[in-house]
Amino acid sequence: MNISPIFFGGILWALLPAPAVAGRLQATSNQAALIKQSSIVFTGTVSQLGATSFADVPKSAQTIVVRVDSVLKKPPAVSLRKGDKVTVEMKDPSALQEGTQATFYTEGWLFGSGVAVKELGHEVLPSGGSAPVEAGSAEKTFLQADQQISDQELQNRIASADYVVVARVMDVRRWVVPKSAGAPSHITEHQPDWHEAILEIHSVLKGTKPKKNKMVLRFPGCQDVAWVHFPKFAKNQQGVFFLKKDQVSGAPTTYPGTSQADVYTCSKPGDWLPMSDEARVRSLLKK
Amino acid sequence: MRALAVYWMRFLVLTLLALIAGTVFIGSLIPSHTGNGRGHLESAEAFGSVYAAPTQVKVVDLIPSSLSGETNQDSEPFLAIQTANPQVMVASAFTPNPVSSSGNAPVYVSQDGGDSWVLNAITPVQRMTCDITHALAPGENHPRGDLHAGTLACAASITLNESETTDVSSGTAMSVQSSRNNVDQPFVRALAISNSDHIYVGLNDFNQTNGHTATVDVSLDGGATYKSFSVEARTTMGQDGPSVRPAVAGDNTVYAAFFGWRKFDGKIATSDVVVVRDDAGGIGPHAFQALKDQSDKLPGRLVVKRVSIPWSNSPTLGQERIGSTLSIAVDPNNSSIVYVGWADRGSKKDIYTLHVRRSADRGATWSKSDLPHTTISNATNIALAVANNGVAALLYQQLMNGRWVTHVVQSHNAFVNVQDTILASVPANEPAQQFLPYLGDYDYLLSVGNEFRGVFCANNTPDRANFPSGVTYQRAADFNAKTLTDGSGNPVAISIDPFYFSVPVIP
Repeated sequence: MNISPIFFGGILWALLPAPAVAGRLQATSNQAALIKQSSIVFTGTVSQLGATSFADVPKSAQTIVVRVDSVLKKPPAVSLRKGDKVTVEMKDPSALQEGTQATFYTEGWLFGSGVAVKELGHEVLPSGGSAPVEAGSAEKTFLQADQQISDQELQNRIASADYVVVARVMDVRRWVVPKSAGAPSHITEHQPDWHEAILEIHSVLKGTKPKKNKMVLRFPGCQDVAWVHFPKFAKNQQGVFFLKKDQVSGAPTTYPGTSQADVYTCSKPGDWLPMSDEARVRSLLKK
Repeated sequence: MRALAVYWMRFLVLTLLALIAGTVFIGSLIPSHTGNGRGHLESAEAFGSVYAAPTQVKVVDLIPSSLSGETNQDSEPFLAIQTANPQVMVASAFTPNPVSSSGNAPVYVSQDGGDSWVLNAITPVQRMTCDITHALAPGENHPRGDLHAGTLACAASITLNESETTDVSSGTAMSVQSSRNNVDQPFVRALAISNSDHIYVGLNDFNQTNGHTATVDVSLDGGATYKSFSVEARTTMGQDGPSVRPAVAGDNTVYAAFFGWRKFDGKIATSDVVVVRDDAGGIGPHAFQALKDQSDKLPGRLVVKRVSIPWSNSPTLGQERIGSTLSIAVDPNNSSIVYVGWADRGSKKDIYTLHVRRSADRGATWSKSDLPHTTISNATNIALAVANNGVAALLYQQLMNGRWVTHVVQSHNAFVNVQDTILASVPANEPAQQFLPYLGDYDYLLSVGNEFRGVFCANNTPDRANFPSGVTYQRAADFNAKTLTDGSGNPVAISIDPFYFSVPVIP
C-alpha cells in the first residue's frame, strides 16, 4: 500500500480528542479497524449527488461523484490521483452535500476507465479541508496506528498457530502421500507435489519443546496457481515459523526417525518471517 | 474557360497535397496516443500504405486504465457473450481481487462490444480462482447478462462452485447453486431451449466410481438443479484426463469431448480422444449415449485411439506446462458437422502437436487424418468455433523462434483453404512465470453474427510489432518507449495480460 504523508494528518486528526475534531466517523468508532478494513482512503470534494463518474457504474441515489483532493491509501496497482473523479456508493448519501470535503474510507468496487468504491466510513473535514496537525506528530501517530494494526495481525497469527518457533531448514525432501493414508491421489494440474522441510529448532516461542529439537514442515513444491500463495522453503532458510498441524496433505504424521511425529504447515504468506522480526514477535508474546 | 478550369483543378490538387503533407508532418510531431497501439495503424489505414487493406480485426488488452499499475500474471482467459445483445460480454483470467486478499475474485465486464472492460469482483471465490469458465445464458432474457460460472476455489481442498448472477454489472456476488469437492477443470456452456436455460459443465469428477471421471453436469432449469453424468464407458487407468469439453447446437444436440486415459506412467498419458453425443439436451436416463463406437459397441466414439500425450506440470513448452488441451465445436445450424482438436506428442522434434478432425455425420465417422493445415507443431491452447455460415475457425498459440504466436485460422472448406490472422507475436522468455499455467491451460473462441470473438493471454509489452493486426490498450502505455506506466508516469514491469479479439468471419 502507498501511504501518503497527508494521510498521517488525517489519521491524527481523526484520533484527536473531540474538541479538535469537527466531524465524526459515521460508520465505526474503531479507527484502527476502519483503516485496516479500507483498501482505498482518500480526501475529496463531493461534486455530484446521485451520479457516477464513468459509464459502467450503475447509477443510484446512493452513488455520488467525488473529486479526489489527495490519495491517502491505495494498492499500487490502482491508478488514482489528485483531480480524478471517483464514484462512491454511500451508505447514507444524505449525509453529504455538493461541495462537502471529507475523508472517505472505502473498499474497491469497479475498476474501469475510472474507479468506483463503496463507503465503509467517512468523516467530514472542517471548512478548508486540511488537517490541523503538524506533519511530524501526524506521522508518529499514523505509525502508531499502523503498528497497532500490524501488531494485532501478528498477535492473531500467533494465537492461531500451534507452534511459533525460531528455526533453520536443515533439509528439504519430496514426500509422497502413502496409500495407507487413504488420501486421494488423482492426477491434476493442481497436484501439490508435497515436500517436507526438516526444521532445526533454535527456540520455541509458543508450544512445547519438540523431540530432538526437530519438526517437520510440509509444503507444496509445485508451481501451480492453486498453491501460489503457500510459502515455499529452501535448505538453510532461517526465520520465525508460525506452524499449524497439517490439515491439508491428507496424512498429518510422518516418521522423521524411528517414531511417529506430527507434521505442520505454513499455509499463508506471513506464516514465515525473517529473523529480523524475531524480537518483535517475542515482545508481542509477552503482552 | 477550359484553361481556367484546369488552373483551378491544379490549384485544388496542389492544396490538397499540401494539406496531406502538412497533416503527415504534424502527425509525426505529435506523440503517439498513450495507451492505444492503434494510433499509427489508424494513420496507416487513412493513407492506405502500411497495411494492405483496412482491417476490422480488433485486439484489446483487458486491463482497465484504473489498474495500470498491476503486474499480475493474468493467465488462462475465458469469454462469454450475451447472444441477444453481443455488446455485453464477460471475460475472466487468473486475475486477483485488486484491492483485497479477502475480497471476491473478479471478472471483466464489457457493455460496448469489447472496446472497454471493467473489473467487477463478483465470483464466489475469495481473492483469485484456480479455474474459471462461464457462459451467458440467453433463455431467461436478463438484459444485463445471465452469467453462469464454474469456479474452483483452492485452499485446503479444491471446491467447485456452479454459480449465477442475472446482472453482471451488479456488485453483488454470484449465487452458488451447486458445490462439491474433488473435481477438476469445470468448463461451462449454455443453451436456451424454450425460454429456459440449459447449462452444461464438463469436468473431471473424482467422485465418480470405477475411474470413469469424465463427467458432464447438466442443468435444465437455469442452474437451480444439476445432475451429473459420467460420460466414460471404458476402463481407465484410474481416471480420465482433465479436459472435458461440451459443445451445444441450437437443435438441442449436445456433444462432449474428453481424453479417455488408458495408461499413465507419470510423464505420458496413453489416451483415446472420445466424443459423446446427446440428441435431447442431456435429458433422460441414457444421457450422452447416442454415439457408440463400432469397435466395442460402447457409448463414446473413439476419434483416435491410444495416442501419447505428454504430461508435464513444469515449464516444458517455453515457460508453459502441457498435458491436456482439447476443443470441440459444432456447426450452430447443422449439428451433424462437428470438429474436435487436441494435442499429443507428434514427431520426435515436436514437444506438443495439434490436430483437428471433422465429422459430417453427427460424430459417427471422422476424418481419418488431420484436416489440412491443422497438424501444428509446438503449439497449445487449441480452441475451435463454427460460424453461422459454416466457416470453421481455429485459435491456437505456437512457440516459434522464441516467440509465442497467437493465430486464428479460418476456413469454409474444412481447412483446405485457410485465412490465417496473427493476433500477437510476443517474446516467450519474458516476463518470468509467477506460477503455472503461464498463458493458460486454455484460451477460448466463440462465434457471434459475422465475427469470431475470443480471448488469449500474452506478454503485454506495448510494442506495435508484437500485434500485427493492431491493438488497443486501456491501461497506460507508451508505445514509442514500449513501456507501461502506472498512470502517473512511473514505469510498470511487463506481465501477462488477457487480450480480447474480434475477427470478421470470412464470407
